[in-house]
Amino acid sequence: MEVVTTTNGMELVYQKPSTLTDTPFHYCPGCGHGVVHKLLMEVVEEMGIQEQTIGIAPVGCSVFAYNYMNVDMQEAAHGRAAAVATGVKRVFPDKYVFSYQGDGDLAAIGTGETIHTANRGENILVVFINNAIYGMTGGQMAPTTLLGMVTSTTPFGRQQAVMGFPLKITDLIAQLPGAYYVTRQAVHTTNAVRKTKKALRLALEYQPRKKGICFVEVVSNCPSGWKMTPVEANAWMEKNMFPMYPLGDLKVPQ
Amino acid sequence: MARKAQSHLPQSIRLRSGNQMMAEGALQAGCMFFAGYPITPATGIFKTMIDLLPAKGGIALSAPDEISAIAYCIGASMRGSRSMTATSGPGWALMIESIQYALMTETPLVVSLVQRLGPSTGGATQGAQGDVLLAEFCTSGGYTLPVLCPTNASECYELTILAFTWAELLRMPVILLSDKETGMTIESVDFSSLPRSTAQNRPSNFAFRDLGTHNRTERKGTYYFDALHEIPPFAPVGGDRKVTATGSAHDKQGRLQKNSTETIDVLKHLEQKISWRRDDFVSVVSDLQPSATTLVVSYGVTARAARSAVQQARNAGERISLLVIHSLFPIPVKKLAHALQGVDTVLVAEENMSGLYRSVLERYCKGAKVRGVNKIGAMITPEEILEAVFEEPWQPA
Ligand SMILES: Cc1ncc(C[n+]2csc(CCOP(=O)(O)OP(=O)(O)O)c2C)c(N)n1
Ligand code: SF4
Ligand SMILES: [Mg+2]
Repeated sequence: MEVVTTTNGMELVYQKPSTLTDTPFHYCPGCGHGVVHKLLMEVVEEMGIQEQTIGIAPVGCSVFAYNYMNVDMQEAAHGRAAAVATGVKRVFPDKYVFSYQGDGDLAAIGTGETIHTANRGENILVVFINNAIYGMTGGQMAPTTLLGMVTSTTPFGRQQAVMGFPLKITDLIAQLPGAYYVTRQAVHTTNAVRKTKKALRLALEYQPRKKGICFVEVVSNCPSGWKMTPVEANAWMEKNMFPMYPLGDLKVPQ
Repeated sequence: MARKAQSHLPQSIRLRSGNQMMAEGALQAGCMFFAGYPITPATGIFKTMIDLLPAKGGIALSAPDEISAIAYCIGASMRGSRSMTATSGPGWALMIESIQYALMTETPLVVSLVQRLGPSTGGATQGAQGDVLLAEFCTSGGYTLPVLCPTNASECYELTILAFTWAELLRMPVILLSDKETGMTIESVDFSSLPRSTAQNRPSNFAFRDLGTHNRTERKGTYYFDALHEIPPFAPVGGDRKVTATGSAHDKQGRLQKNSTETIDVLKHLEQKISWRRDDFVSVVSDLQPSATTLVVSYGVTARAARSAVQQARNAGERISLLVIHSLFPIPVKKLAHALQGVDTVLVAEENMSGLYRSVLERYCKGAKVRGVNKIGAMITPEEILEAVFEEPWQPA
């Protein structure tokens, strides 16, 4: 392996990918968004597809994704990312197209777009950041909010009788024949980070096969919206989110 | 020992945002159903309703998007529940389909539109007054929709009660047009001076003309009226008579028809029921000065700057009048005509680029020169209005 040395003579063992800009992330301390941005851009760099990649990140805390991801990016209206991605992919069938969406965006206002894009088997990658809350607008209940979970619009905890059950949209997607690869990962430990990166890599490698949608859910956190420290948030996530949203592959290519 | 801070203010004065006051006004008006979807700068209304409405026996629901939120409200309203939702520009765009449905089905509904900078996602935390025409002219056919516009937190409360009154009496959607500054600024509100009425009682300062068949118990169809301006008596779905409601063009029974005479009458009636009462639906604050030659017209947060500008201009010896319009639509033509007497210059101050409200007021200001004070991206200051008044840089005394 080639050894890179820095100007002061030390061996360079790690650096941020060239596909990420120098702009510092605006995300709250401990938030999963930044980690997933980095992983996705590492994969794009490693695959050498920076020039062929187009991303669509709608509103949500990742609305500024275009400031960090150094590929062509489009900000879509709330919920419309998968539909915009469809248009981009149809006219650029050989580009790598991904959407990057929060749970409010993908599983509430954009549910129709999500399901139909998957059902049509659009050859895109959907990166789905599930933090069980609307982070950007100040911590309101999302479709993925757990039963009993306190948010600003469920001050006494989400009650099933009033607001129904947490929506496991990734499980729904896995049922659709248009889905090619569906997996659920996390980024709270080194091991989990490695697995997520592998999933993102597979998903992008599959895209030229044109066999259908690749859907990568990342069970994530929102320390600010959850009103926890980053460490507490990750512990809470493991204890409460993972039983509802178990990690692992839901559908793999046959 | 810690001492409690002594307040010199009366007990009745509390700190509230315009958004909170809109929610409290809705509760006072007897609102029993609220559905919302988070969006800055309107989320405060949603959040306050979630916090307060269930304790009053009402229902406050989180919807998966604005399309659902407004549709939930229409369903509840068709059962007779006073209903409300709140949003901002991007969500309003999604609600327009159902606003039209509420108009067509003659379903009472109050929608609060707290404006932010557009177009599209625009600036979530940047105020604006750019949705005035998008609110009013959101229907195919350009039907008149009542639009009420508060300038401060107390008025958010008062106008919300009024909005429910209009919605209920006219059987139609009413829009509360707020803005980010009015909705999110926290200011003191004197609760002892707020109206105690609910929307059930018509506010005493508003004389509604004949409400037609509204109170008749006998019914000859969901949309029955004799004269075009009459309001059909409301019958709830799930009541003891069959009700047919439809957003398709329909006859007085609510049966889909294309262009029969009766169907065209129903469409005319949708406009007539409000235009016939347009002088009853006026809420303006006229601060007129005898022999004034300049009239400043403003609304929403900009009206606060206008008030200050007019005061300063008067201190400088200028004869100048001010019209703060709460009921933007239907346009208060009589009040406007009255304020225009002897006036040669009208200045319309509003936080949008091209003078949206000015463009519709102009035709009622014949004989006067109409100019705009406009800006986007920041609030209009009193100084900017004064510069427009004097047509030269403003030097404070
Ligand atoms: C039509 C419309 N409605 C509401 C909003 C306000 N809004 C912006 S982002 C967002 C939700 C973000 O939540 P999520 O997608 O879960 O992303 P997160 O911030 O949690 O990563 C909402 C409701 C909007 N921009 N447009
Ligand atoms: S609000 Fe939540 S989702 Fe948004 S950046 Fe902060 S921690 Fe992340
Ligand atoms: Mg989220």
